[in-house]
Amino acid sequence: MYGNVGSQPGVQQSQTSLPPNPFGSAFNVAGSGLIRGGLGAYGGKILGSSSEYVQSNISRYFSDPQYYFQVNDQYVKNKLKVVLLPFLHRGHWTRITEPVGGRLSYKPPIYDINAPDLYIPLMAFGTYVILAGLSLGLHRKFSPEALNLLFIKGLLGWFMQAALLKVTLLSLGSGEAPLLDIIAYAGYTFTGICLAVLGRIILGYSYYFLMPWTCLCMGVFLVKTMKRVLFAEVRSYDSSRHHYLLLFIALVQFPLFTWLGNITINWLL
Amino acid sequence: MTNKEFKVPPVAFPSAGNPASAGPNLQQRRMPTPPFQPNSGIPFMSFDIGSAAASTSSGPIYTGPAVGAGGSANFDDEEPLLDELGIHPDQIWSKIRSVLNPFRVNHTVHKDSDLSGPILLYMSFCLFQLLAGKIQFGVILGWIVVSSIFLYVVFNMLAGRTGNLDLHTCTSVVGYCLLPVVIFSALSLFLPVDGVIRLSVAAVFVLWATRASAGLVVSLADGGDEHRGLIAYASFLIYTLFSLLVIF
Repeated sequence: MYGNVGSQPGVQQSQTSLPPNPFGSAFNVAGSGLIRGGLGAYGGKILGSSSEYVQSNISRYFSDPQYYFQVNDQYVKNKLKVVLLPFLHRGHWTRITEPVGGRLSYKPPIYDINAPDLYIPLMAFGTYVILAGLSLGLHRKFSPEALNLLFIKGLLGWFMQAALLKVTLLSLGSGEAPLLDIIAYAGYTFTGICLAVLGRIILGYSYYFLMPWTCLCMGVFLVKTMKRVLFAEVRSYDSSRHHYLLLFIALVQFPLFTWLGNITINWLL
Repeated sequence: MTNKEFKVPPVAFPSAGNPASAGPNLQQRRMPTPPFQPNSGIPFMSFDIGSAAASTSSGPIYTGPAVGAGGSANFDDEEPLLDELGIHPDQIWSKIRSVLNPFRVNHTVHKDSDLSGPILLYMSFCLFQLLAGKIQFGVILGWIVVSSIFLYVVFNMLAGRTGNLDLHTCTSVVGYCLLPVVIFSALSLFLPVDGVIRLSVAAVFVLWATRASAGLVVSLADGGDEHRGLIAYASFLIYTLFSLLVIF
């Protein structure tokens, strides 16, 4: 029995050792050479093209966010006046440009009242959340969960406003405005809503006067601003279509403001 | 009667005998082959088990004394537990006292930022809210994180290239300046639930916290001097949010 067991493994070992040596070594050498060369060539191309693609998209959609925060107290006060009382804005609505590096660039907000910023939208959104909490509390309905829901409702409103402006620009054949510009313009919505909600907290009946007024002011502000954005981008002029779409933007402000200004626990209403 | 008694035993014996005779025969035939193979295998296994047991027994004996010797040698030289954890009670107390002064906050003691003081204040805040019947541990801690990130983003964006406020310092300042709100939450346990009194007291404490926070942030980091008002408004939003938890 011992002799038989010993002989069988020996035979198997000899059989397995002989065949693979030359063929295996040949395949390994050829495969490694081909794979290394191929990966090197294709890898370089893929990385190069993808990095260029990402850079172009970043520069297209996300211009420098630092630009939108170059503000001071004076600009904030003046901008709030323009947003809340657009009828009293005597100057023009065109943004100031300056040649930088061989191409025209817009001046930062600190030097141009018509330039959009992100500080006022951000603070207005925060104020909206605080005032919503205060309003809920005065009606005995405050809870952290309700405040979180209103935060989400505010973000949803901001997104819908930005989507409205973006779709309007795209439908008019102009999609070149930076995304942060659109977000900034949409964020100014909350300044009017904060004013209306604050009025309701202080004096209940003033809400029914302030809400239509702030809707109208925001509508006028957006029409003026979008008109400038369109004229800066679109060379061809189709007056009837432009006017209808701008009027549509102004009219949509009324339901949007009403929805965002309705502070309740049921955030769908 | 006697005939029946005699007849039963003879019937039982033949029926029991047949399977008994068959069983032993089969067992005897099966027995010879299995015993040989296990007998040959068992001695090898027993030897291996014995050697393994010997090796395992020797290991712990050698390693035990070394561990004991090492522990006894290092224990005397260890730092105090608070120092090792990075908690300095005297530093925390001096920072709290600086925030307690509502008119002039000493910003030099806040140069070294830490998070143990803020955590102490968070726990106190949660405790006072718990005494008021509100379980808001998760809400308070979550909103602290969001508020710190919010102030950090706003400050560094406003300051531009010269902004050097880091998130650790920002979280430390926001946490320490929450002290007025914590005091308000303790005080609110004795205030009437309804009325203008609660709102007025809240306004005083929020302005106090806002002033301390804006002053500290502007003095601790660069680039914030010309944006003090804008940064103060961001701080105002943060502490108003926390005071809402106390008021309602």
